[in-house]
Amino acid sequence: MLHLAELSRLSISEEEIEPLKKDLDSIVSYISQLNELNTDGVEPTYQCFDMQNVWREDEIQEFEAKREDLLALAPESEDNQIKVPKVL
Amino acid sequence: MKIADKNTKAVDLVKAALAKAEEYKDYNVFISMNAEAALAKAAEIDEKIAKGEKVGKLAGVPYALKDNYSSHDGNTTAAAHILDSYHSPITATAVAKIEAEGAIMIGRANLDAFAHGGSTENSYFGPTKNSADDTRVAGGSSGGSAVATALDIVEFALGSDTGGSIRQPASFNGVYGIKPTYGAVSRYGVVAMASSTDTMGCFAKKAEDVDLVMSIMAGQDAKDSTTLPDYWTKNLDEVKPAKKKIGLIRDCFGDGIDPEVAKIVREYGDKLKAQGFEIEEFDMPILKYGLAIYYVVQPAEVASNLSRYDGVRYALRSKDVKSLDDVFVNSRNEGFMKENKRRIMIGNFVLSSGFYDAYYLKAQKARTLLINAYNEAFEKYDALLCPVAPTPAFKLGEKTSDPLTMYLEDAMTVPASMAGLPALSVPAGETEAGLPVGAQLIGRAQSDQLLLSIAKQIEDSEAK
Amino acid sequence: MSEYKITVGIECHVQLNTKTKLFSAVDNDAVDKEPNSCVSPFDYALPGMLPVLNKEAVHKAVQAGLAMNCKIGLESRFDRKHYFYPDSPAGYQITQMYKPIIGAGVIHLQGFDDVRINHAHLEGDAGKLTHFDDYSLVDLNRAGTPLIEIVSEADIHSAAQARAYAEELHRLMIYAGVSNGDLYQGNMRFDVNTSVSKTDELGTRTEVKNLNSFRSVERAVEYEAARQIALLEKGEKVVQETRGWNDATGKTTGQRSKEGAADYRYMPEPDIPPVVLTQEYVDKVASEMPAMPDFYREKFEPLKLDNSEREAILNYPLLAGRLAEVCEENIKLAPRVAHWFSGVLLAEENLDKDFSLATAAELAELSEMVEKSELSSTAGKEVFIQLYNKKNTSKTPHALAKEMNLLQENDEGALEQIIDEVLAAPECQKAAEDVRNGEMKAIGFLVGQVMKKSKGKANPGAVNKLIQKKLS
Repeated sequence: MLHLAELSRLSISEEEIEPLKKDLDSIVSYISQLNELNTDGVEPTYQCFDMQNVWREDEIQEFEAKREDLLALAPESEDNQIKVPKVL
Repeated sequence: MKIADKNTKAVDLVKAALAKAEEYKDYNVFISMNAEAALAKAAEIDEKIAKGEKVGKLAGVPYALKDNYSSHDGNTTAAAHILDSYHSPITATAVAKIEAEGAIMIGRANLDAFAHGGSTENSYFGPTKNSADDTRVAGGSSGGSAVATALDIVEFALGSDTGGSIRQPASFNGVYGIKPTYGAVSRYGVVAMASSTDTMGCFAKKAEDVDLVMSIMAGQDAKDSTTLPDYWTKNLDEVKPAKKKIGLIRDCFGDGIDPEVAKIVREYGDKLKAQGFEIEEFDMPILKYGLAIYYVVQPAEVASNLSRYDGVRYALRSKDVKSLDDVFVNSRNEGFMKENKRRIMIGNFVLSSGFYDAYYLKAQKARTLLINAYNEAFEKYDALLCPVAPTPAFKLGEKTSDPLTMYLEDAMTVPASMAGLPALSVPAGETEAGLPVGAQLIGRAQSDQLLLSIAKQIEDSEAK
Repeated sequence: MSEYKITVGIECHVQLNTKTKLFSAVDNDAVDKEPNSCVSPFDYALPGMLPVLNKEAVHKAVQAGLAMNCKIGLESRFDRKHYFYPDSPAGYQITQMYKPIIGAGVIHLQGFDDVRINHAHLEGDAGKLTHFDDYSLVDLNRAGTPLIEIVSEADIHSAAQARAYAEELHRLMIYAGVSNGDLYQGNMRFDVNTSVSKTDELGTRTEVKNLNSFRSVERAVEYEAARQIALLEKGEKVVQETRGWNDATGKTTGQRSKEGAADYRYMPEPDIPPVVLTQEYVDKVASEMPAMPDFYREKFEPLKLDNSEREAILNYPLLAGRLAEVCEENIKLAPRVAHWFSGVLLAEENLDKDFSLATAAELAELSEMVEKSELSSTAGKEVFIQLYNKKNTSKTPHALAKEMNLLQENDEGALEQIIDEVLAAPECQKAAEDVRNGEMKAIGFLVGQVMKKSKGKANPGAVNKLIQKKLS
């Protein structure tokens, strides 16, 4: 549980652990019924339709949001950069 | 749909919509109103009309926008605290297209935060109430949009449907709700939930209104590589079923289905029969696994898509920050709803090393089997008929304690989502208690207009 | 005591020089630009933003693959690699975990065994962090720059081979034209995995990340191998870890790592349909590939150049191309041009000269002038240098030599006159007498006097012959 929370960058308090574990256990046991299905030799589907080679030409485009618009969103900034607590 | 012209002022349409919104304030339909900008836009349209200039196909028509579509009007909150201060500098393609035709957004409609839920109770801004019974849920996640349409505040509303988020609230509120074919409408600018099944659709009270709005929203978009070439181009009356045969999915009428719901949907089948359709019952055993497939794939994509909400570049950054990790953990912890967190954790579980093959890969293989079963069915039928949800709208708070019970609400909507198929929730009737119930029509890919034309046939026959 | 065997595998990140980023149509060239000036809403990872693949990046990846003699993956697709870090705006990097565009291949090295390529994948680069005392700043200009990550097999067994491999990769990328190859700008970055063992079983490896010079690749392998051997000799164990490289001290240091291996939770990227290439397309790209280093090595074989001299020239595709053209004009004239390239042009401290200024025809002409003794070899070098001066672009080597007053005097009449004057001079009588008596050593003095009198323009060979004739 704590490892999952760590991977998810969430924190769980002591009293949250048990009920959350119960929820996740029941969901995991529900999805585990997929094991009843024989999927030998079946290709997975990652995208519904067989599209391929959707790409663009290598040309610079203008965007609706400019640099100033984006940087204005930053909770903290300095010298046109986004400011965060020191990265170790 | 009432469109502004020489006799109908856009400003009056918008004022009427705003007044209705005020009247139904207690239903908690909107997260934010857009009154000032809406009236200004309406005045512009009226001026154009007065000058004899050309106006769009939706000139002056007020609409409600699910609050997960980006636009410059108001904050795009996705009903989550982590985004409630986020003012988007970009416009979703669907919004840009609708508004280019003159539609006017009067307010941003409530939803389950990040569209995670089937009741609109998981909103940071509180639940939306059902239009027919205010002690019951609106359905979700596009609850605000469905109720705004049902209460006649607006004539149409935009929603998004990843596993039933348009169809189920449409059913609970007695309006049309369409989940188009995956890739019919651009996802650009809509807060992503599960990218491989996210679709953008709408609510309205008439099939032809749905068709009009969708014909405008749909189309290939260079900004979304999964959009399909334009196909939403026909006149509904010209769309004809090839076989005049509809398959009734027997598996969807068994245990766990409210008898009244089953009865109303079967009766809708009878109406189709009366219009010359052959109705045939058939089995699709794989459907039993549809929900399990969905609750592997969807949380995985959710966990991935919600990674960007990290408190670094925009919106909420926790005040309680001593280190970089605090920025991530505390912002996310404060900003996400409980259900968001649950899905993130399930998603990270099924993707984590050692479990990927057993869950994620397995589910994607099962998804192939599901798609194969649909393909087989469409060799025989023009469309499939089943309920939208197992029950009518349930009581507020009734299912919030157990997530799995809430997930079971999606059992009949998620299979079409996993296969990318178009599915339409049609208002089919009411229970004894006066709760609306929808029937679901599912078609092969890109047959969206066929579903609408079938529904319109029934609608027309009842109007006579 | 048997010897330790060093085993090294290298991962190399190469930034592709496309006009726009891998998934967003924003300027990919951030050199000398303000922070966050090459950033689109996608790069900033706003809600609802979607990647749109750059076709040219796919093309360049195929070229890079062909340059490394790799199989091209006809069907490739993208995956998300998840990790939280301020330089990764979406919380994941879009990469190719399961089906990379470049498959197995091999790199031939000069003087070392071949190194096989396992695969190479296409991915978006991360942003850049700058650290201050109590905060860090995030610049996303580089976020989304197309990269190919080239993963070698563990076929490298010495620091020198590691360096040769890195250098050859660099040559291949710049010859293929897929990268600017500017190491200072981080266009190519190396992660080296080193282990040592006395047996056939591989030892525990360490990874030194983000090396950005050939020298640091070589030194890091040297240092790590020595460090690991010293540990093992003391009876200690090598810890599998990522180590940082300090270029100033020439040492690696262990980096504090989180408990357990990172779990990136790879997931197929649902927003980008797969890339499916035809063999015809790959064949066409192959047929249009520019000449690679091996082509030139073969071409320069008859010139009998030193390995180091040839490889130095090969570091500059433009010079290799020029030299090849000179070979076409007259192969006899080419070795001298090669020596000029390596000994003069590349020996200079400041290499900001425009190598395109001297044409092959000019270089051949100049070489021929020296060949025919119209210029001394010293004068030839001086004219050569002037060919790379912008003001001289319209002048032929001959005109330049003339202008610089360096043309040699080969006219026998004129030479005889000078020689006669020298032989008549009183200070030369002793030497002339010695030569007459068969003491040929003395002739050098006389030739020197003639050269002095001609201000260096006389052809010493011709002078020597004429003096002998006169004194015999």
